[in-house]
Amino acid sequence: MVNSSILLSITTFAYLVCTVFYLAGAVFRFTPLLSLGTAFALVSLGIQTGGILLRWIESYQMGYGHAPLSNLYESLVFAAWAIMVIYVVLERRIGHKVLGVFPSLFAFLAMAYASFSKGVDSRIQPLLPALKSNWLIAHVVTCFLGYAAFAVSVGISILYLLQRAHKANPHPKGIFALLPNQKELDEFNYQMVLFGFMWLSLGIVTGSVWANSAWGNYWSWDPKETWSLITWLIYAALLHARTIQGWRGKRVAWLSMIGFACVMFTYFGVNFWLSGLHSYAR
Amino acid sequence: MKDKAGPWASVNAAFSSIKLTLFIFFFLALASIIGTLLPQGLALEEMRKHFSPGVFWWIETLSLHDLYHAAWFQFLLLVLALNLVVCSLDRFPRTMKLLSHREEGLSADKLTKFTHHRAYATSLSMEEVVSRLDEFISAQFAKLQPLESPPKFSAIAEKGGWSRLMVYVVHLSVLLILAGALIGSLYGFRGFMQIAEGQASNEVQLAQSRRVLVLPFEVRCDNFEVSFYDTGMPREFRSDLSILKEGLEALRQPVYVNDPLTYEGVTFYQATYGGVLKEIELELTDKESGRIQRITLPFRETSTIPGTEDRIQVVEYQKEFSNFGPAAGIVVLKKGQEPTGSWILIDRPDFHGNRIGGYQVKVLKAESGYYTGLQVKRDPGVWVVYIGFVALLVGIGLCFYTSHRKLWVLAEPDSGGHGETRVIVAGRTSKNGVAFEREFQDLCDRLGGVLIVK
Repeated sequence: MVNSSILLSITTFAYLVCTVFYLAGAVFRFTPLLSLGTAFALVSLGIQTGGILLRWIESYQMGYGHAPLSNLYESLVFAAWAIMVIYVVLERRIGHKVLGVFPSLFAFLAMAYASFSKGVDSRIQPLLPALKSNWLIAHVVTCFLGYAAFAVSVGISILYLLQRAHKANPHPKGIFALLPNQKELDEFNYQMVLFGFMWLSLGIVTGSVWANSAWGNYWSWDPKETWSLITWLIYAALLHARTIQGWRGKRVAWLSMIGFACVMFTYFGVNFWLSGLHSYAR
Repeated sequence: MKDKAGPWASVNAAFSSIKLTLFIFFFLALASIIGTLLPQGLALEEMRKHFSPGVFWWIETLSLHDLYHAAWFQFLLLVLALNLVVCSLDRFPRTMKLLSHREEGLSADKLTKFTHHRAYATSLSMEEVVSRLDEFISAQFAKLQPLESPPKFSAIAEKGGWSRLMVYVVHLSVLLILAGALIGSLYGFRGFMQIAEGQASNEVQLAQSRRVLVLPFEVRCDNFEVSFYDTGMPREFRSDLSILKEGLEALRQPVYVNDPLTYEGVTFYQATYGGVLKEIELELTDKESGRIQRITLPFRETSTIPGTEDRIQVVEYQKEFSNFGPAAGIVVLKKGQEPTGSWILIDRPDFHGNRIGGYQVKVLKAESGYYTGLQVKRDPGVWVVYIGFVALLVGIGLCFYTSHRKLWVLAEPDSGGHGETRVIVAGRTSKNGVAFEREFQDLCDRLGGVLIVK
């Protein structure tokens, strides 16, 4: 009997295979492997989409009836899905398959963490009263599309910095021979940051409006809220520095990596670490 | 840059600098990080217990325990707003000038220096070229606006000029959001109400001060209900509220967590709940005389114990008292004596400690209910904030994904002898050069066909 957890387990494995193909294709400069990576990415995405939809249906069958976006497990699954959707669209537009190494790796890591970590409960649970709102879907989807775009951008930034460190070599080998040039990488990075910034803004706004309708406060400086604002400020700084101050390349790549570190902290750090700090009165 | 002397010019220069903007962004981010690492909203005394005197000195001096409301943090937001205003005022005239600028004297030399340009030689006559250029560019790109007429023909065509204004929409939206927040904090309030089932109240305990605000109407909690899933997780909190205006029922509406009630601009949100005692039936044994009395007491109402002059009141109730189950805090007042009180365990009627004054107290029946905890607020600034939100999102979307694209066209009789007429098209975009490159090349390819280039 096919159920969502089987499909999502297959997805985890499929993203691993996808990563291996992309990486092998890049390292050995063998483009058919890269094409296989793309094919696997599309198949995995299809299986994962089925898994997510099935989980949605199963939650109705259990009598809970909510979109699969309500806890850490479901958000990790959606994050992996969003990263790959955004990457596949980017790849289609720019035609550089070698950029798939990091997005597929991130998608695999998110799925693996969701599936194998003891701290992540994968059961379908009922919805807390606070989450019973149509804003749930709008807020989670917008935030995670933003996070996913930033994940793709950080992968490009890492490749940019590698490419740059390697530029002294007149006869590039392996992955460097296939990579787009620095100017292109910088431009792709910028496009992904723009895209992510737009979704992050939407995510913060939907969260804010939701908070106002549920608790009567559109901004209460809660750690999660504050960290999303910190992330927004870092990317806003990047956009201003690039547009007005003319920053390019290395500095933008580093800022994009700092921005993504903030994303990771907003997502995981606030849950695991800050709550700990706040409950110091043990 | 403007060449104004004097103090205003230097203040203007300082506030319009992009370096200041970047500095504020990073500094706000850093300050916010500190605010998330230190617990916020605790009393200073509480903080003193947890930190060394050196760290505590910093916390006290910089109000780090309430950082987001500290004067220096609010000042930082003010500087951000000023920087936004000055930067926008500084750049806006230049943008308007750019948009209304009409260039004169286009020359082939100038246009061939553009990154995007293409030159054609065609055997068509000048008049034919001009009419075909006009027809093609006006239909495929934007209305062709002639600058000079033959013998030398030059023209421009542009679209998306408003895209350059979107950045000001984004900046204005941030100002609107800050202004809305200011309006809310000046003219609104936020507080809390606790109403037991069957009771009504018009008193709001304000959040930022110890003051109590009296509403011009009363809120009655008719009923509170909490339901659970089979996993034990709460499913729904529901308060049935009635609004009483001058004693008359004006509105009756249930309130859920994501579904508040608004009346006369004041909104009530389901926040918490707890247990309350409605009525308690007691058996009192007078230790001296051995007389046994039964009495029924409503919560927090004083009654006289029958046959005596002693008065008794239930003042407190706890659903769970130190793992002994529910307990009632009862006070007995004897004439000419200090009042005495004690916690009486409701589920353990024979507990020897159930004593107050000279009475052994036994709870026969306790009727408990719920109170509902409501978050109460009035925020006249919220609509300004929401307009700011919409402007922010629309502004960001259009600012990123639209661009001001402009074409320059020049046609003149060919002196080099390749054909009858020479045509040069050049183009420029305010952003997204990659996409424009594609659009420009495609347009030029098709224009080549229209001009019948060999």
